[in-house]
Amino acid sequence: MTLHKVDDYRYVIPKSFKAGMRIEGLVYANEQLMKAIEHDETLNQVANVATLPGLVGRSLAMPDAHQGYGFAIGGVAAADMEKGIVSAGGVGFDINCGVRLLASEFSLEEVKPKLDELLDQMFRDIPCGTGKSGIIDLSFEQLDEVLKHGAGWAVENGFGPQKDLDHIEESGRMLNADPNVVSKRAKQRGRDQLGTLGSGNHFIEVQYVKEIFDEEAARVFGLRLNQIVVMIHSGSRGLGHQVCTDFLEVMQEAMPKYGIRVIDRQLACVPIKSNEGRNYLKAMAAAANFAFANRQLMSHWTRQAFGRVLGSSHLGLVYDVAHNIAKEETHSIGGRVLVHRKGATRAFPKYNSDIPKDYYDIGQPVLIPGSMGTCSYVLVGTEQAMAETFGSTCHGAGRSMSRHAAKKDTSAEQLIDELRQKGIHVRGASKSGLTEEKPEAYKDVSAVVDVVHNAGISLKVAKTVPIGVIKG
Amino acid sequence: MAETFRNAARGLMSVIAGTSVIEPEEERSISIIGLDRENLFVRWLTEILFLYDAEKFLTTDVTFAIINDTSLHATILGQKYDAKIHELKLDVKAITYHKLKIENIENNWTARVFVDI
Repeated sequence: MTLHKVDDYRYVIPKSFKAGMRIEGLVYANEQLMKAIEHDETLNQVANVATLPGLVGRSLAMPDAHQGYGFAIGGVAAADMEKGIVSAGGVGFDINCGVRLLASEFSLEEVKPKLDELLDQMFRDIPCGTGKSGIIDLSFEQLDEVLKHGAGWAVENGFGPQKDLDHIEESGRMLNADPNVVSKRAKQRGRDQLGTLGSGNHFIEVQYVKEIFDEEAARVFGLRLNQIVVMIHSGSRGLGHQVCTDFLEVMQEAMPKYGIRVIDRQLACVPIKSNEGRNYLKAMAAAANFAFANRQLMSHWTRQAFGRVLGSSHLGLVYDVAHNIAKEETHSIGGRVLVHRKGATRAFPKYNSDIPKDYYDIGQPVLIPGSMGTCSYVLVGTEQAMAETFGSTCHGAGRSMSRHAAKKDTSAEQLIDELRQKGIHVRGASKSGLTEEKPEAYKDVSAVVDVVHNAGISLKVAKTVPIGVIKG
Repeated sequence: MAETFRNAARGLMSVIAGTSVIEPEEERSISIIGLDRENLFVRWLTEILFLYDAEKFLTTDVTFAIINDTSLHATILGQKYDAKIHELKLDVKAITYHKLKIENIENNWTARVFVDI
């Protein structure tokens, strides 16, 4: 069964696409991105999600969607709070992997002469790379406080001003977090990883604002042309990975009790209102809080590095968004629902009570990191997103080449040299990690952003371009 | 089947620690119960990953006292990560069920597993 093209940016996957689909699928893409999406298992996975019980609206895929485990990455699925399910795989292993943007007082010209010194300082101060332990030594009791209070714990302990919390999704703390349902094993994995970047696609970039599309929104977000900003992309590290692993097992074991069968074990799920479902959401919230605290600590060390090298540590927090999370929200489709966003960003519009009061009249900032050495975007949430996508949009460029393929024909030295010629200086903990993340391994983030902009599910505010990259 | 589980553990270690030489200095004893063979396999590799990520214990070899479709008892040999002698390649987030396959074809066991990195 073929897809139904609705317009230049929307393709419906009809229920006849696959046996067992209870709702339709909807993919946001242009023709070119659609070819990439059709190239792997993405459409099949969007259809598989549509077979799960109690979902409302459509099973959605954003233009950066690509094949994941069970659920596609770049997917959104909302479940009825009373009759629906929650799936650990619908959030993914890296719970609250997300992005934050800090805005400096400096211009591009002011930072350029000291860029190498700045990057060296940040690379020294922020632990990154495979197996790297953090600087913070936590007892299990202290870790429980992090899991309860999130970024608030970091602020209470001197890692940033109180006002940072106003500019973080959920104010940096999911209130339903309960450390008692996070396994000892998850805590053992995460205890020495707080305040570490990790490896893979995680990064810190020093960028400048190259283009502004919406003057008013940019002004409200505190962004101006040529301004130096810092983007931090990281998640909940081993703690979050283990929470997902633990609950995939819990859910698989519990499914027969609830009469649920799934066509892919990674889709394991349980009713939201079941004990297992409630416990997952409490543990997921705790892992999300760990990630908020993690990004808060790295922001603190970034500010310190700016202070040492450039003489001012003032970097205002523009916003911090989650890319992998499940949240209870109210929407016109379905009413009270649990929205699973796996590789998707919340994109709430103006006059929404869940966004910071500073942005109440303009809408929520949406942060879209591009691939290494290309560009990133700041967007703003829209009413259209509320009407169509449970207030969600894309989350990045989306991988188009496997890590293995990316490593072929490119040496780290060659890549570093190519980027330097483009004015981008790189510090990387791992050479193979660098080449896996080369720009060509990803879709064109500008094409992805154009689709969500033209479809109206978020609108372009500013484009940023990196001059310095720190990779794990 | 024991050999497949053993090689899978060693394969996972090569993803994490490349060609680092890992000496059998210490041992860990574990018992795992699974829902079925595939589930046991994922739980087994999750244990090897946990030993690395939580305790920095690198696995070099394994012996099984018991192994069947739903349970195993193993002795795991290896040593603690030492930056002076081991090179870490990649963080593995988790062991997945994505396209997981464990088969016995004409008395030859093969397994395919994807790990999230």
